[in-house]
Amino acid sequence: MTTAVSAGRPSAVTARDLARATATRQRRGARLKLWAGAICTALVVLPVTLAGVLPLPGANTQDLSRRRLPPLSEGHLFGTDQLGRDLLSRVLHGGQVSLAVGVLAVLVSGLIGIAAGAAAGFFGGWIDAVVSRFLEAQLALPLLMMLLLVVALFGPSVTVITCVIALAQWPEVARLTRSLVLVEREKAYVAAARVLGLRSWSVLARHVIPNVVRPASLVVLLLLAQAVLLESALSFLGAGPQRPFATWGRIISDGQDYITTSWWLVTLPGLVIALLVVGVNLLGDGLRDRTRPRSGKGA
Amino acid sequence: MPKYLARRIGQSLLTVFLTLTTVFLLVRLAPGDPASAYAAPNATTAELARIREQFGLDDPLLVQYGLFLRDLFTGDLGTSYSFSSPAFDVVLDRMPYTITLAVSAIAVTTVVAVPLGVWMARRADTRRELGANVLTIAGQSMPDFWTGVMLLTVFAVVLPILPASGFTTWSGLILPTATVAVLQLALVSRLVRREMTTALASSYITVARSRGVSESALTWRYALANSAVPLVTALGTRFAALLNGVVVVEVVFGWPGVGSLVVRALETRDYPLIQATVLVTATLAILVQLLVDLAYPLLDPRVRLGKAA
Repeated sequence: MTTAVSAGRPSAVTARDLARATATRQRRGARLKLWAGAICTALVVLPVTLAGVLPLPGANTQDLSRRRLPPLSEGHLFGTDQLGRDLLSRVLHGGQVSLAVGVLAVLVSGLIGIAAGAAAGFFGGWIDAVVSRFLEAQLALPLLMMLLLVVALFGPSVTVITCVIALAQWPEVARLTRSLVLVEREKAYVAAARVLGLRSWSVLARHVIPNVVRPASLVVLLLLAQAVLLESALSFLGAGPQRPFATWGRIISDGQDYITTSWWLVTLPGLVIALLVVGVNLLGDGLRDRTRPRSGKGA
Repeated sequence: MPKYLARRIGQSLLTVFLTLTTVFLLVRLAPGDPASAYAAPNATTAELARIREQFGLDDPLLVQYGLFLRDLFTGDLGTSYSFSSPAFDVVLDRMPYTITLAVSAIAVTTVVAVPLGVWMARRADTRRELGANVLTIAGQSMPDFWTGVMLLTVFAVVLPILPASGFTTWSGLILPTATVAVLQLALVSRLVRREMTTALASSYITVARSRGVSESALTWRYALANSAVPLVTALGTRFAALLNGVVVVEVVFGWPGVGSLVVRALETRDYPLIQATVLVTATLAILVQLLVDLAYPLLDPRVRLGKAA
């Protein structure tokens, strides 16, 4: 990108000017977002993945003599819930399910989205017509309502919820991939590959897709944030996975009944979700800022 | 233009029809029996069979679908199992509440997000703007049910100044609107910032500035006017989505709109009610999208409807 030029003669541009230049400020902003994002994400993801080895009481162990203890009580950093279960342990174990669902859903939607979008953009014709109709229909549909419908009908298992979230998200990836491929397929290397005798499928799979995967995968981080939010909304409405552990939305909806007396049951799990999603969004945003050539172009 | 309109309306009707068919099939293919949800807990097999016969759930799927289509064209969406009144009327009773919430949320969003986005674009990449930018990221990262419960705790429980649920006075509108608006605000203001930074960096702005056009005119009359199409598209899409019922927020605040209705309809497997809700909300959402499309030539004289974009 921009590098300081060392000229042989003195320049009117001082180091101070360079530090104040828009490009420098943009890069500084992007770097700040990346760091802050990485820290927020790590603060949630590390404890969640290590939940099994951390010295915590069991997530489903009840102790009715120690109900609704406030945070920072002895042995319970986040306090306990209405059944005397350790809130921190519940949040971390539930987070494993939430995160797993989010990551899996994004992987599935990313694969479907890239495949469908690339095929639509590259081949055009009836494939494009079909895919585009799907993309349009999805914009018109009452999304959460349809998701609730599917979950209510097919049961709130991890598989169903993963598929449902993937179903909700693939159009976003597909739309982006399609527009990227439309640009890419006009480039000279595609024509060259054709002249060399490659078939359309090979050109698409071996030359075009590798060139669009990087920009398309940037959107994946933003989708992960959305997937975590969507899963927590579903489980808040009672349509989330129940086993092996209650997920974040469920913990919050359980705590709602005690909001007047035990504020931490709702506040703390919500803060954890927000911290993770802010972190992931900041990471995605920072990465996008950094790869964007210049403000005003691209976007 | 009339040709374009006819084609668009045809497409929209097709989308609504396909949606309804999907929902019709989904609810019937899935496990679960509305008769057992409707009957008394200790109903006998004979009673369940009678209920099934009464609702026509015994007929083959194709027959049910045929009857459903026939009724649809005569404007009859069936009787809700749990409300025992026409499903269409039940949904229409709830619509005003959902529309009120959607309109007030989108109004607040527009009034706040546009100036905020413009400010962020003009001050792009300064320290203060970075702060605002991170705040909007936080706004789009908070789960809306959590924001709702938190606002409820602070303004209805700790400081009891606003009603906690339902819609009996106009002040009951404040908390749900605020909850919905936080997310919309974050999304829309970021869009405005993106569009406006692009617009402000264009050469026509430089030319206009060199001719002595004032900075405020440059911002509001030149750059914003050129960002109008994506902005109106976004607001339209958001509004359409809100009309589909802000399910989560409605549940949190006990808002009597279609969102909370659909949750109840799903619990009781109330097929006609589910179908009626989907028909009404999908039609409304598609109508809003159509209006947005029709508004393009007004916003940007270069747009001609019906020509390939």
